[in-house]
Amino acid sequence: MKGLFKSKPRTPVDVVRQTRENLVHLDLNSGSRGGDAKREEKMAELSKNIRELKSILYGNGESEPVTEACVQLTQEFFRENTLRLLIIHLPKLNLETRKDATQVVANLQRQQVSSKIVASEYLESNKDLLDILISGYENMDIALHYGAMLRECIRHQSIARYVLESEHMKKFFDYIQLPNFDIASDASATFKELLTRHKATVAEFLTNNYDWFFEEFNSRLLSSTNYITKRQAIKLLGDMLLDRSNVAVMMRYVSSKDNLMILMNLLRDSSKNIQIEAFHVFKLFAANKNKPAEVVNILVTNRSKLLRFFAGFKIDKEDEQFEADKEQVIKEISAL
Amino acid sequence: MAGGDGDASGGGEVRYPLEAESYRLLCKIGSGVSAVVYKAVCLPLGSSSPAVVAIKAIDLERSRANLDDVWREAKAMALLSHRNVLRAHCSFTVGSHLWVVMPFMGAGSLHSILSHGFPNGLPEPCVAVVLRDTLRALCYLHGQGRIHRDIKAGNILLDSDGSVKLADFGVSASIYETPSSFSGPAVHAPPLSAAASLGSSSSCCFNDLAGTPYWMAPEVIHSHVGYGIKADIWSFGITALELAHGRPPLSHLPPSKSMLLRITSRVRLEDAAETCSSAKRKKFSKAFRDMVSSCLRQEPAGRPSVEKLLRHPFFKGCRSNDYLVRNVLAAVPSIEERCKGDTNLCGCARGARCVSPCRHAAAAGVAAKNRRISGWNFNEENLEFDPAEGAAAEKKRCGLPFHDEEEDDRELESNSAGDDNDDDSRTAATQGSCHGERDQAVGFKEVVVPQLMTILESLKLERSMVMHALGSGGCHVAADGDGCGGMAAAPGEEREEMLLGYVRQLEHRVEELSKEVEEEMARNARLEKQLRLRERVHDHKTNSSQASESN
Repeated sequence: MKGLFKSKPRTPVDVVRQTRENLVHLDLNSGSRGGDAKREEKMAELSKNIRELKSILYGNGESEPVTEACVQLTQEFFRENTLRLLIIHLPKLNLETRKDATQVVANLQRQQVSSKIVASEYLESNKDLLDILISGYENMDIALHYGAMLRECIRHQSIARYVLESEHMKKFFDYIQLPNFDIASDASATFKELLTRHKATVAEFLTNNYDWFFEEFNSRLLSSTNYITKRQAIKLLGDMLLDRSNVAVMMRYVSSKDNLMILMNLLRDSSKNIQIEAFHVFKLFAANKNKPAEVVNILVTNRSKLLRFFAGFKIDKEDEQFEADKEQVIKEISAL
Repeated sequence: MAGGDGDASGGGEVRYPLEAESYRLLCKIGSGVSAVVYKAVCLPLGSSSPAVVAIKAIDLERSRANLDDVWREAKAMALLSHRNVLRAHCSFTVGSHLWVVMPFMGAGSLHSILSHGFPNGLPEPCVAVVLRDTLRALCYLHGQGRIHRDIKAGNILLDSDGSVKLADFGVSASIYETPSSFSGPAVHAPPLSAAASLGSSSSCCFNDLAGTPYWMAPEVIHSHVGYGIKADIWSFGITALELAHGRPPLSHLPPSKSMLLRITSRVRLEDAAETCSSAKRKKFSKAFRDMVSSCLRQEPAGRPSVEKLLRHPFFKGCRSNDYLVRNVLAAVPSIEERCKGDTNLCGCARGARCVSPCRHAAAAGVAAKNRRISGWNFNEENLEFDPAEGAAAEKKRCGLPFHDEEEDDRELESNSAGDDNDDDSRTAATQGSCHGERDQAVGFKEVVVPQLMTILESLKLERSMVMHALGSGGCHVAADGDGCGGMAAAPGEEREEMLLGYVRQLEHRVEELSKEVEEEMARNARLEKQLRLRERVHDHKTNSSQASESN
């Protein structure tokens, strides 16, 4: 009998509405234990709806996504608090539905409605959602899902700025060193995204927070005993300092003897990969035209060792830029 | 916390500890270029069955993939959940190694099972069970928008209860990830040069292309077309043949030739598969041959989807997994015994191959640390050098896995060269003189000469690589020499000499091969001439016989 009423296909707006109804139902009944069968039925419905949202946004095996359908879906999704409900109730969903939900949220961050990114506007007035997403790194079961959503949200410059300026930035130094590799790497990827994506915002952040940030960065990440933490941190430091928009920060960094000492120790790390990344930062100290006396002192004291080190410093594949940089560094140090 | 005992398929119930001290490595059960797999026991879990695990130790210093790729694989494994897909319990770092803790699959990979108990392939009903479960895994992966890209018997694992799981997502890609992060090692490599470098027989070069040569679909080799889900179907078809025969088709050729044949499609694989199965041992059902050849269509669009394959008649009446326990597991030694006999697995004997994170290697790692520059002098008050620490014996980190493969390759080379000769002489010796044969000979020339040329190219490449390696090797010696005196110098010299030896060998081979190419070309010309001559004679004969008949 039911089949008779199914003749009208559901519109994207219908699917979003039903998803929201399912989520509200979940919200109201989260405490109650009774009616497990009913609850499971609702859950199955929700899973089906979220999968439907995904296939509208991404297309399915046979068909590409339709722009008009995506626009309708996006509008309806952000018209009310569907995103909030979805994020809050994510831990209650099963694994497959969590993955679908993550992909839906990720896709929605890029959808435009009359050339405006609706998601960005929504998040700006719901910034507490970012607090929830970031705290996900403390829960193994949802960390990877929240982490993936978070990285999509910080594509919006205003949202990235919010996170950079929040107290959460300090927490990342812990998250990056979590023992669980997938979660630590996820946090590390988010951290990197925050510090490299929006150039002007990053430059402003680094300038205003120079002291505590590099203090933490040097002592906790570059001096970490964890191989991965060290390797990712030195790579990120290179990416940050070599970015043109961060010139002022770079000049400040390479004028410090303490920073130089850390980098020189990384040059003789047992890992070749770390050595190479450290070289890309060390060369900035050597190339600095206005080296402070304390930096010159250290370089002069260790001149012969440094020259001997660079004479034998090779990378596996040919790299003209690397060789040229090395020549330059050798020249600078010899001339001191 | 350790509640869900007995329910292995549920997963996630048992939390596995995230530090090395909680595990005891029992024995090595597999090894690759930058990873070793151990059977291990998780100590805090006591004697329950989930306490036995497999740990894949990936050397992040040696792994060519960057950390992002490694993370993506770990993430994929953590988020996949299907009874036929191997899922990671957890992963954490131990020094510069990443340990991925996985369920222990008691019977090992199908590749290992084939080589230890079924060198000529599994019985067809067993093949069906393994393939059906592999398809179920693929169905799940494809539904997730994931492409596996390296399906082969070596990546299909069997547990002691007969359950089958697909493993190794080292090269898998997700079509949901943004293009910039879509960077399996393969995407970087331009297709042709990569195909050529594969011929250089260095195992590290295999990783330049995703997948392993024999199982690779033509469009993966022609990677500009892009990967599709249908590439997995091709590899699945090859895997079917591998399970049925004990080895993949064309595996008697070195990988580069096998790839070349597939790109040029001079030898049609469909035919190769058909003739293989029917000529050698007529034991495969029509359903099997039909299923395999549908997977091996050159055009990706022509290959069936996983869903369609699962409905193929070949899988009708497929046995249960118990059937594998009775018919396969009973016939092969346990995985521990298999590994004992296999000296290849002992990484330590091979120096450079040893990537074991076991205690003594860790000690060697510490020793290796010391051979770097012996500490900077940050003491500003009295500008004296700190006394240089004596560097301990160097742990060799020579990145030259050329040696063994080169030998293998040469062996194969001479084998197939032998085949070529046989074929040629057979061609020459046969008295029949149909036109087909001439075509065959010409076709043969077209295949063989460019192949030899490619091999020659790749040898040149290999030579330059060795020269390069030699260059950096020399530098290592110089760097070692400075702080610590003679200790490192002796092995350094030895290595240098060894390398020089390789180079000389390679040069020799290049010369040999160039000569062979020339000879081959000359012989082909001769043969063609002969054939033409004989044809004329034949034509003449038939003409005359016709003439005599008509008389």
